[in-house]
Amino acid sequence: MMSRATGHWQLAAALIGAVAFHTSAALADTGSPQDWLDRMADAVQSTNYEGTVVRVRGGEAEYLKVVHVVAEGVIREKVIAQEGNGLEIIRNGNEVHCILPDRKSVLVEEWDNQSTLFSTLPSSDIRFGGDYDVAIVRKERVAGRQAVLLAIRPHDEYRYGHRIWLDVETGFPLQTHLVNNGEAIEQVKFADISLDEDIQISSLDPSYSIDTFTWIAHPVRGPVQPVESDWQATELPSGFKPVLVHAEEMPGAGGLVTHMIYSDGIASVSVFIAASEGADIKGSSRIGSTNSYSVSTEDFVITAVGEVPAVTVRQIAASMQRR
Amino acid sequence: MNETIRMQISAFVDGELPANEAELLLRRMSQDADLRAQVSEYLEIGRVMRGEASVPGMDGLRDRIGAELDYGTTEPVELAADIDRPRRWQPLVGIGVAATVAVAAIFALRQTGIEPSETDALLADQVVESVEGDSYTVPSNQDVLRQYLMSHGEETSNLGNNGINARWVSLEFSQEVASENPDDAEIEEADEDAVPQGE
Repeated sequence: MMSRATGHWQLAAALIGAVAFHTSAALADTGSPQDWLDRMADAVQSTNYEGTVVRVRGGEAEYLKVVHVVAEGVIREKVIAQEGNGLEIIRNGNEVHCILPDRKSVLVEEWDNQSTLFSTLPSSDIRFGGDYDVAIVRKERVAGRQAVLLAIRPHDEYRYGHRIWLDVETGFPLQTHLVNNGEAIEQVKFADISLDEDIQISSLDPSYSIDTFTWIAHPVRGPVQPVESDWQATELPSGFKPVLVHAEEMPGAGGLVTHMIYSDGIASVSVFIAASEGADIKGSSRIGSTNSYSVSTEDFVITAVGEVPAVTVRQIAASMQRR
Repeated sequence: MNETIRMQISAFVDGELPANEAELLLRRMSQDADLRAQVSEYLEIGRVMRGEASVPGMDGLRDRIGAELDYGTTEPVELAADIDRPRRWQPLVGIGVAATVAVAAIFALRQTGIEPSETDALLADQVVESVEGDSYTVPSNQDVLRQYLMSHGEETSNLGNNGINARWVSLEFSQEVASENPDDAEIEEADEDAVPQGE
């Protein structure tokens, strides 16, 4: 005879199964998470849009007006800060002009990603492997549009999670959260948006007459050269693998610095190894979601930097050893 | 651990599991010792025992329990008393179910031979130590760190990883550079006020 406890257990299991099935069925028409990531990648590269973005970080919110047009494969974009120094970012292809009206200056930079705001969300070819779960959570409205919430959840505390609200119609990301231990530490959200509407090219022009401004070329990075390094991280968090190593001339760090990058497919950590007489830094620092940690050996200063929790940069930096 | 259960637990800790699924999950945990053990493993409670500060999901878990009990922050020690009188949970499904999660967490801690109150003290000590240890001091050589951040931002953007943060960090530093080091600029002089077009 089946005991009451066993009966309850079986009933509970059956109910869980039924609810899980019901939930899965309700979201089945939305496609797989991978499908949505593919749609997002396409949408970010090809969608014209105009709207207001709210970016929340460290308890502070900033509002940005954004116009983004892709014409014949060339990205043109304008981002205007609605508060503070009135920063405007005007982008034409890879050339970017950051206009600082309060300083009457224009910073000239080269960016080769697809969008100032969204090009670098986790792409569809990321290795979720054993380090993240990816799931469709639910549908809800964002910026007046129906959206699907996609959750990318790390399995440990060495990396951040992501929440991405994708427009059901287009796959365009309407809202993103960077999540640490269940808390959104950085949010980007469209308060309003118009997708794929005809946008006047003139709306991409600077709001200021900048001909008389001081134009400043972005400080050129020193020469970079491939090297074979005998340094390695002996206690890498699960899933992180070396993806790049080169030597880079950095005058402020005393000359040639070895730069290694470890990535789990979503999160990245750079490790810089400099001669101890050049790089006089130590301990932790943090800017938004970016953490760094430096340790010194007799001859070197090792600094790990990345958009990962502090524990990750600390562990990687502290475990760097020569083979 | 079963993949579905693991994802349910993960979603629950993040407060994203639908209420009906959450209730069933909690009920199941109250009746399944193996599942409780798996949950504790998932949450890496063992990290506390090894003297490591972070317990992924634990804060969220406690907040969720507190929210469901409407107590604010849940005190695991008080809830632990319920372990000895499970029958009293039965008529109070909402409260009882929520409490079982705290019990599960406490149970997992007790498996290691440390009482919850001791563990809380250990956690508290570690929090203080962590805060003091990190302290987020201003680096003594910001120029070097600035170069590192900009280099990291550029390279990781090229790799397509999390570049939005790196890009904005780089941009903020660029603005500082423009402000602090005008002599480094390649330059045409500005001798007129900024005039917004159309004004």
